[in-house]
Amino acid sequence: MGLADRVRPTTPVAGRLLPVPAPLVPLFPDRALRRGTTTTVAGLPGHGATTLALALLAAASQAGSWCAAVGLPDPGVVAAAELGIDLRRVVFVPHPGSGWAEAAGDLLPGVDVVLVRPPGRARQTAARHLSARARERQTALIVLVEHVNEWPEGGDLALSVGAIEWEGVGRGHGHLQGRRAEVRVSGRRSAGRGMECTLWLPDGSGVVATVTRGEDGPGGAGSGDGPEAA
Amino acid sequence: MELERLVVVWCPELQQEGPRGEEARRFVQVVARTGELCPWAHPIRLGVCALPARGPARFFGGEEMVVSRLVEVVGEDAHVGVADGLFAAVLAARARLIVPAGEVRQFLAPWSVATLARAELAVTLQRLGVTTLGQFAALPSPHVSDRFGADAAAAHLVARGESGELAGLRDRSIERRLRVARGEDPDLGSVPPPYQPGFFGGASAADTRAALSFARVQDRLGIEAVLLGRIQGGRDPGEQAALVPWGSPEAGAIPAGGAPWPGRLPLPSPTEVLRVPRRVEVVDAAGLALEVSGRGLLNGEPARLSVEGGPWQAVTAWAGPWPVTERWWSVRRRRARVQVVTDDGVARLLCAERAQWWVEALYD
Repeated sequence: MGLADRVRPTTPVAGRLLPVPAPLVPLFPDRALRRGTTTTVAGLPGHGATTLALALLAAASQAGSWCAAVGLPDPGVVAAAELGIDLRRVVFVPHPGSGWAEAAGDLLPGVDVVLVRPPGRARQTAARHLSARARERQTALIVLVEHVNEWPEGGDLALSVGAIEWEGVGRGHGHLQGRRAEVRVSGRRSAGRGMECTLWLPDGSGVVATVTRGEDGPGGAGSGDGPEAA
Repeated sequence: MELERLVVVWCPELQQEGPRGEEARRFVQVVARTGELCPWAHPIRLGVCALPARGPARFFGGEEMVVSRLVEVVGEDAHVGVADGLFAAVLAARARLIVPAGEVRQFLAPWSVATLARAELAVTLQRLGVTTLGQFAALPSPHVSDRFGADAAAAHLVARGESGELAGLRDRSIERRLRVARGEDPDLGSVPPPYQPGFFGGASAADTRAALSFARVQDRLGIEAVLLGRIQGGRDPGEQAALVPWGSPEAGAIPAGGAPWPGRLPLPSPTEVLRVPRRVEVVDAAGLALEVSGRGLLNGEPARLSVEGGPWQAVTAWAGPWPVTERWWSVRRRRARVQVVTDDGVARLLCAERAQWWVEALYD
């Protein structure tokens, strides 16, 4: 038995649920990220799947959970902070190369949330192994993909971004102010609801927010349900 | 001056003290077992123990033999390395290497300046384009001393492989902490918290568990593979933030968020900031290449773009240009930024200098 095994902390896992920002609560059957489960976040390039996936780390990191993001090649650190991520609790492994699954596997026992973006369709063995390890270590695994079928195992919960629309930018005026996005929920643990909702991914203050009925624009700082941007 | 050749034993999982003091008690055992092999073994800080290489190497028949004997007695999770001087020996241990005598400077050259555990110095150097110990070592000594002061001059000597000692590397209270852990000194309350200049991270059991997993990834992919984000103020997307190696001093000094900075682009910020900008061609409706004038204005409206020779995509919306104010140390250049949305819904931040366009960032 190595030193690591002898000193492995005996701290009990504190609670089965990890918080998510308020606007994302309705997407989750448990109203939070459940430890040990796999959540896929799918979306075509530019449709805001990265924003949605990063937002899932915001409340957990603020609550003191360590998180890791594997395979996001050039993470926008400022955007991450605007989304509410506590940068002191999130490590980035931007360039794991072909070792992405091994790196994610190394991190699963150490942190509460692992976000991983495989470089294309994942091998079935790698996907199965990571989901099983997440379950065993009671870590929330979030997989960022373009199409949900790139994760052969499927997730306990599958979030996918559909149609989007940018607000605030015209032909030569304004600026990118908010991305209105349709987000659909499915997967084994979603109770087959196939629920859909419309979110700002993000809004004009850089946070994820609920689009309220009849709302024309993405608003500015503090108009969303999420935490105010710094 | 010739540096002392040292063997260092580094136990990543024991570098931080948990609430029960278990790590310190385990480390006492590590020091004791190392001491059985060599009576001159001494603790440097929690999780780090050093011993002179020469005697044991003669006794056991080479440094490789000393290393393998140490791994045998301490355990496979211990990282053992050998180099000239304490600083390089600790890094050698982290990398599990035996650095040949006299080759410290070459060994240190590719490591990040962050390893020096000098937050402000590292940030300043990185902004000047000096990111590695090799580049730092190449700066002229009088210049470093004048510009950055005595502490930086000491760090400079370390980077050059001329010194192995760096303030903060040794925990001065380590002997006392271990006495407490052995139960020899009951006066627990008066032991000051260890001076952690940021070589390693936090304190709780969860932190230790996280630290261990980060060290595993570093073993697999290299010390620069695990990064923390840091907001540092600035106008460019690439300037406002930095990614610094986990375990480095800047990492210890990371603020929760950044202060607003005048002149930056409006929120929201891009989620992908390209370290290596991609070339992009931008043309107007007539197919003419778009240019930024000397006054920072566009000579037309963007209608289509092609990234790195890829297919042409129609521009559905765009905003800007925002003129770019150059950084003080570079040549004066006129550039402008434009936000562009194409018909596939992808929003990009482009930067133009005359007729040359780049994709700087993406909003995903």
